[in-house]
Amino acid sequence: MARAGTYPPDFRRDRVIYLFQILNGIGLGMLYFLLAVGLSVIFGLLQFVNFAHGAFYLLGAYLTYDLTQRGFSFWAAMPMATLIVAGVAAAIEALLLHRIYKLPHTFHILVTVGLALVIQELAIIAWGPLGGSVPAPQGLQGVVIAGDFIYPQYRLFTIAFTAVLAGLLWWLLEGTRLGAIVRGGSESPSNMALLGYNTMRINTAVFGFGAGLAGLAGALAAPIRGVEPFMGAEALSVAFVVVVIGGMGSYTGALAAGLLVGIVQSVMTTVWPEGARLMIYVGMALVIAMMPRGLLGRA
Amino acid sequence: MLDRRSFLTTSSLAALSLAAPGLLGRASAQGAALKIGVPVPISGAFAANGKFATIGAQMAAEEVAKAHGIEVSTLDLDTEGKPATAVRKVQDALAQDGIKLFAGGILSSESLAMGKEIERGGGAFMTTAGADEITGADCNRGTFRWSVPTFGAINQTVRPIIEALPDAKKWYTITPQYVFGDGLLNAAKAVFAEKGIEHVGNSYHSLTDKEFSGYLTNAIAAQPDVLLLLNFGAQSSDTLRQAVSFGLKQRMTIVVAWASGLEQFEALGPEIVEGVYFGAQYWHGADTPLNRELVARVREKHGFNPNYSFAGSYIISKLLLDAAVKGGSPEGAAVIPQLEGLKYAGLTGEEEIRAADHQVIKDYYLLKGKAKDAMADKDDFVDIVSSGKSFLSPEDSGCKMPA
Repeated sequence: MARAGTYPPDFRRDRVIYLFQILNGIGLGMLYFLLAVGLSVIFGLLQFVNFAHGAFYLLGAYLTYDLTQRGFSFWAAMPMATLIVAGVAAAIEALLLHRIYKLPHTFHILVTVGLALVIQELAIIAWGPLGGSVPAPQGLQGVVIAGDFIYPQYRLFTIAFTAVLAGLLWWLLEGTRLGAIVRGGSESPSNMALLGYNTMRINTAVFGFGAGLAGLAGALAAPIRGVEPFMGAEALSVAFVVVVIGGMGSYTGALAAGLLVGIVQSVMTTVWPEGARLMIYVGMALVIAMMPRGLLGRA
Repeated sequence: MLDRRSFLTTSSLAALSLAAPGLLGRASAQGAALKIGVPVPISGAFAANGKFATIGAQMAAEEVAKAHGIEVSTLDLDTEGKPATAVRKVQDALAQDGIKLFAGGILSSESLAMGKEIERGGGAFMTTAGADEITGADCNRGTFRWSVPTFGAINQTVRPIIEALPDAKKWYTITPQYVFGDGLLNAAKAVFAEKGIEHVGNSYHSLTDKEFSGYLTNAIAAQPDVLLLLNFGAQSSDTLRQAVSFGLKQRMTIVVAWASGLEQFEALGPEIVEGVYFGAQYWHGADTPLNRELVARVREKHGFNPNYSFAGSYIISKLLLDAAVKGGSPEGAAVIPQLEGLKYAGLTGEEEIRAADHQVIKDYYLLKGKAKDAMADKDDFVDIVSSGKSFLSPEDSGCKMPA
């Protein structure tokens, strides 16, 4: 048996490749978390199933593309796209979606699937069906080299950025008065109304906030994935997998599940490449079978 | 000059305002002397290709009508990229509209399904889809294919690069796991074995994958000299975009064996295209008489350069319509003999329809991306490195043409 330090080069390389796949998986997982957390927040606080979530991701990516094409820097385009998506989503909630909150989930699905299709077609009309590329921002276009392996600087940035954002989100939702109001509005709207809070406004703000997070995920993903009109459907499916694995409405569950899905997908591309994507759904099925409320779902 | 994006946007709006894109075509098909069905995906993930294809077919119809003084109309059939939908639309067109000529089928799966249905209905079908089976094991009397299949695509991309880069001995492949990807991979492996190339690894991926960083990490670990991408459309764009972000262009040569040409380069942008090799069925800069004419006419009429989807649809529609005029009927029995063995001046130069398997013998191009500041105009993304014809014999392709 070979001792440490005397492993053949292939064995050492195999071990290093798994380390890099885990690193890559963390990068993917943080993006998946950002994508899913908005969906989870909307479901957890509003009990609303939002199938238009992927469309808000698409909109965030396309707005970033559009703004950078118009000469804005990525650093300006990213927050602008996020705010525009949040605003559009809040307006849609105030005009349309709040009317169906009390109806069964099937109505939520019907209306939001229709909304997703409308947004997708509007994106085709506005930007054409061909798609496009968004360059990584200046200063993050290079790569980090470690031995035989390479990792893009921009992907490292997304890991760090999303980690900081995750901490801020947790603090906002769990450690501030604003978060307490939002959670109160979800648990007991009538009591919140008696305390003088406008629960309709709270709901609109929560929906806009959740959709804005999807828009931010789209903006962050644009330099990695580019933009194309059908990117929303793929994002929605990943977001649902993460939310189901993590537990509907659970913030920490979305973080844990996002990382788990990203790492499983990335490591499986080395272990069993053709089944890498399949394993995400196998994992979801196993979690549903063994833990119906998800990893950290509320009872 | 109207650009391609604006043109498609305008046409999308027009289609939207009419509720269904097929309505225009269907209305115009009524009472026409010669009709051709254009079964292509007009909605869904391949809608952009399909929309260009319908415009290309329309242009061919107008030219044939003008040249022969007859009435010609097209009927757009939205296959949605789904074989079952494609078959149903073709059945309806055969039975209800009396259409016998069909030019389309961008995806291999829908083309294979439609070809059988059209042959059964006594029609003639020409496609640009890629799977070897179309003019191989699943060939039939009614089906013709213009594009070069996987064997030729690999031979016209991999061989010239091996010659040009004699020190590039280690190649890594990324392959979609379905019949088209396996066709390309098997052809590549055969060339590697013949030329003494070390195939240092392959990553298969599913048709739904959008994230390729894991596969690229595998490729980096194998330390190849050349990364050969065997996927198509949006997946090859995603892989290439992510490979460039990993800095692989500076570390190895990247080859996309089956690119969709101008539409793909527009989506990628010149920064990503620069320095990458692409295999392609068509390029608007090809210096052939028919191509020069087509480019001039399309620029004049539509204000953009024809891409592969447009040009492929144009030429297959024109071949079918000309054959129907010459044969005196759109019925398959009249059209097929006109096409079998036909030699003509095509978009890629001299082209010939091989009678034994109905495969068009034509050039396949190896292109190389230019630097942005070397582009003469906004569509001048690449230089043609080489072009040529590579085809299996009908026997080796597995076609046993029914009598």
